Amino acid sequence: MELFELTAASLSEKLRKKECSAVEITRSVLGQIARKEEQIGSFVTVCEEQALKKAQQVDQKLAAGEALSPLAGIPIGVKDNICTKNVLTTCSSRMLHNFVPPYNATVAEKLEQADAVLIGKCNMDEFAMGSSCETSYFQKTKNPWNPDCVPGGSSGGSAACVSAGEAVLSLGSDTGGSIRLPAAYCGVVGLKPTYGSVSRYGLVAFASSLDQIGPLGRSVEDVASLYSVICGRDPMDATSAAREYGDFAKELNRSVKGMRIGIPKEYFGDGVEPKVKEAVMAAIDRLVKEGAQTVSISLPSTDYALSAYYIISSAEASSNLARFDGVKYGYRAEGYANLLEMYEKTRSEGFGDEVKRRIMLGTFVLSSGFYDAYYKRAKQMQQKIAQEYDEAFSRCDIIVTPTSPSPAFKIGERTNDPLKMYAADICTVTVNIAGLPAISVPCGAAQDKMPVGLQMIGPKFSEQTLFNTAGCFENLCGGFGVAPAMKG
Amino acid sequence: MQIDIQHIAKLSRLFIEEEKLEKFQQEMESIVAMCEKLPPMDGDYMAVDPSNPMQLRQDLVRPSLNREQLLQNAPQTQAGCVVVPKVVE
Repeated sequence: MELFELTAASLSEKLRKKECSAVEITRSVLGQIARKEEQIGSFVTVCEEQALKKAQQVDQKLAAGEALSPLAGIPIGVKDNICTKNVLTTCSSRMLHNFVPPYNATVAEKLEQADAVLIGKCNMDEFAMGSSCETSYFQKTKNPWNPDCVPGGSSGGSAACVSAGEAVLSLGSDTGGSIRLPAAYCGVVGLKPTYGSVSRYGLVAFASSLDQIGPLGRSVEDVASLYSVICGRDPMDATSAAREYGDFAKELNRSVKGMRIGIPKEYFGDGVEPKVKEAVMAAIDRLVKEGAQTVSISLPSTDYALSAYYIISSAEASSNLARFDGVKYGYRAEGYANLLEMYEKTRSEGFGDEVKRRIMLGTFVLSSGFYDAYYKRAKQMQQKIAQEYDEAFSRCDIIVTPTSPSPAFKIGERTNDPLKMYAADICTVTVNIAGLPAISVPCGAAQDKMPVGLQMIGPKFSEQTLFNTAGCFENLCGGFGVAPAMKG
Repeated sequence: MQIDIQHIAKLSRLFIEEEKLEKFQQEMESIVAMCEKLPPMDGDYMAVDPSNPMQLRQDLVRPSLNREQLLQNAPQTQAGCVVVPKVVE
């Protein structure tokens, strides 16, 4: 196996045993980027020079016998809505096509401190609004399992680069499924952490009460390891929770003995493709053989989740995106008569259609006369959905569902029908609405051999339980890896 | 529900081209129709998660970015200020 195909855990061990150098690891990943990037298009920016420089520093530290973090020398892709100091951060939008942050997001700073190698900035749906990575201003990322299919979104580049071996790990952000959906479509592991466990400082805001940064990787241990580095209280994010976190990778026990797995009937209805249902049920059976037991549960308000999600997220987006006005940063249109015209022209030329739709939906639901019928109802529904989860977790330890009702769809198939596009998120949005953690792991294949994702949802701050269950299932599968067509 | 797309666009500081008006109109109406599925409900809602009360930072002077760094991304600057069209007649 080539270095770019290995997990962070095995690369880290090789580094320690001096079986390879950090520069060799980075070169191997850059080599894969050189071979595959034209076809896949995971990155908006590849940081070749900077990555090699960082890798050299890691090798010097190794030679000097310094203690290193498990992520030292590991090439990591970062979604392009996470600010990276002196490295272009575009949100895949014309609006920020030239934005170079003068500071690091807290997670980027933590990666830097852990001596991780920033390999590139990952393509995404514009401002994280989308489920297919097709709304990017720059390029459409392709699915490494089949380049005719979407990688999922919005963190499509983050999932594709890991699946294609163009990075060992990556960071994405998840507002309604944007880590888990592309992880499922690209056959990798993706965690949406508990709201408040990872700092959002330096994440370009979409819907602040739902957004959360999280890790993607090719193994559960790697994802746990990256999560251990990025989580924690941050005084720069008032919503980050004040609590202590352990080392999730070290405490990984991969056991499901005695675990109660809740199966919500609403997530296995007619809208879910039979092959997907089959794969998820087969996975549950394997966990039961390992000592878990199943419990039938109900989350009755699931049908209302998409409505509540699009109201709340768009309302917050319409407010958050008001800052893009051509004054302080980013794109400014030319040829305007006054300030108002400058705002309008800048925003109309700088934003794509999907972003405009969401800003207008948000403006509408918050506008005079409509607030009670839309926004207030959505917030009430949010509370109801959270209560239903609380009740469910009194009867089970985790809840298992498909990550998406279908595997990756063809590029262009849903771009003309926003509602069909939004439906891809039906299994993931409730988790954000309730602020819970959830992990997506690959669980077999649907038609055309495209990967299926299994979603495990837990109570707040139960990430260790999710890693243990996902880790148990990973062992049963014999591990995951880069997409077949991407192997060295 | 009929939506006055031009009014909403104006409130959003967006301009929708004539040829795209109908498409936006239809799409917005179908999205709003989806959102209208929510049933009326009783009771108030919690604006902040009670299990995670937000802690504000102390109001202290601390190192921050300098003016030059803050202005490096501004489209047009002059003498350490951002330049915008005339605001007051």
